[in-house]
Amino acid sequence: MLERYVQALSAHDVGLEEPAATRDRLKDRFPRGATRRMTQLGLLVGTALEDLGPGTDDAVVYASAYAETRALEGYLDSFPAASPTLFQTSIHPSAVQQALIGRQLPVREFFPLTGRLHLPAHALQAALLSDASRVLVCGGEERGTWLLERNAASDRTFAFALALVPTAAGALARVRLEPVDAAVPAVALTLPMFFDALRTRQALDLVAAPGLRLEVEWR
Amino acid sequence: MPSAPAVRLLATECLTALGDARATHAALRRGEVALQPRPVLGADGGEAVPLALAPGRGYDETAPPNWLAPLQGMSSALAGGGWGTARRPVFVTSSNFGVGSLYAYRRHGDAAHLAFGTPHACVEWLAGAMGWGPNVTTVSHACVSAHLGLLLASRTLAAGLAEQALVFSFDFISPFVAGGFYALKILNAGFPAPYADRPTGSIGLGDGAAYAILTRERGDFALEGQSLYNEMHHFTANRADGTGFAACLAPVQAAVAGRRVWLKGHGTGTLEAGRLECGALAAAFPGAPLVGWKGSLGHTLGSCGLVELALACESIRTGWVPGTVGTAGPGFLPNLANGEFAARDTDGVVCASNAFGGAHAAFFLAHA
Repeated sequence: MLERYVQALSAHDVGLEEPAATRDRLKDRFPRGATRRMTQLGLLVGTALEDLGPGTDDAVVYASAYAETRALEGYLDSFPAASPTLFQTSIHPSAVQQALIGRQLPVREFFPLTGRLHLPAHALQAALLSDASRVLVCGGEERGTWLLERNAASDRTFAFALALVPTAAGALARVRLEPVDAAVPAVALTLPMFFDALRTRQALDLVAAPGLRLEVEWR
Repeated sequence: MPSAPAVRLLATECLTALGDARATHAALRRGEVALQPRPVLGADGGEAVPLALAPGRGYDETAPPNWLAPLQGMSSALAGGGWGTARRPVFVTSSNFGVGSLYAYRRHGDAAHLAFGTPHACVEWLAGAMGWGPNVTTVSHACVSAHLGLLLASRTLAAGLAEQALVFSFDFISPFVAGGFYALKILNAGFPAPYADRPTGSIGLGDGAAYAILTRERGDFALEGQSLYNEMHHFTANRADGTGFAACLAPVQAAVAGRRVWLKGHGTGTLEAGRLECGALAAAFPGAPLVGWKGSLGHTLGSCGLVELALACESIRTGWVPGTVGTAGPGFLPNLANGEFAARDTDGVVCASNAFGGAHAAFFLAHA
């Protein structure tokens, strides 16, 4: 069994907010001039991480199914004169890199994961297998435009970060992963479902990936 | 220092433009260059840049993607292995997934491409085609993706959550990714000469796929000292003092513990990163010969760590290490090996990869 405790949580549910509004609202949370090229997801994940005070000894696990959708759309639309900025910004773990490069904050371990039905369970497994004293699990999505019309992007914008530590003192919640009989079918726990559970402090107890029971118990 | 449990490799295989691991290794020993000049945007034209495609594969995207057949060919030994089940998880790693399909859709409007465009749609389709179950963890960290999959799989095994783990990586190039590197000007008309001290840097891009089956106790090779480090200094540049490279290599140096090694570097053909990597490897492992194979195969992106692991295993198995293909003149430092050499005088190889964001990854591969 793997177990850690939620020391701190930051959740940002911005619904249909447009990137320009997010940028204007959050620009003071970042170094001056840094937000000009940041994506909406980068701003939100960066803010969620900032709420937890990231440190260089933290391990970071990042989960996103679609990642930088707007940058990806813009990059695809820039052809045949492909945009170098949008290319590098559209690469999957860019949201976290935007935030940590802005702070010039190196970290030893950074695990960016993607997926769908079992993404949160696998992200938590990566976090709970780390022996860093604190692991920051973050994630989110940004609402797409033309990719959303083709069902290839998120329909909502959100981000979260939670700090996982080995000790229970002052914890918000306990997170536990336990191997279970492989015959027990796993159910879907997508990133938006997990985010909503975090945001509303909803307890979880389910087989969230094959052979893996996830329990989140709030204090 | 984070833990990196030692694990065994039960099997490895790869696919490159030169064929499977055995064929690729033999071709590298002969100094063959798989890269060929091709229009950067395929049928849409553009300057000719060095690209290396899997045998028989066309560059322009098809629906379903034309890389499935070569991928299935590489993976024939995995059939019926129960992969993707609770005790036999799959760790898929890539930087491209099916993103070339999104490019094809946006340029040409055929909605059939959309079914493969997002990472999860692509991996779910691939898992179905491979006969895997749903226990698939997907890692996407640009060109160190494969290393992350190896480390996650190692920890999963060490925690007793799996009896065996399959790390599976694939990156098939497309105008999407070639156009991006071309826009960054590091993919250009020049051919890569890894670690060469020359005025202009150039990379090539290549198709690459590979797998490794990891176990706790079976297999001829062991992975030790797996290490990661993320500079978070700049998206496309490293700290100029090379401390990011050194920080990643420190745990590997400890794992090597004075054994005799050779070095398989990242070596894409860019100048500053090549110079820094060369220096850091020479400082950590004085006198150890350094090779890089991307001057022949091109950069196989998120899969390079696993492709080159399979080739390193083949080198140890055969006793011969191919030299640095594509680099004829002097390198940044005298540790660069241009020609092949015998592996028998060493105890193993340090393999290193790098990625955007100043991401570094490395491990020590030795006989078990």
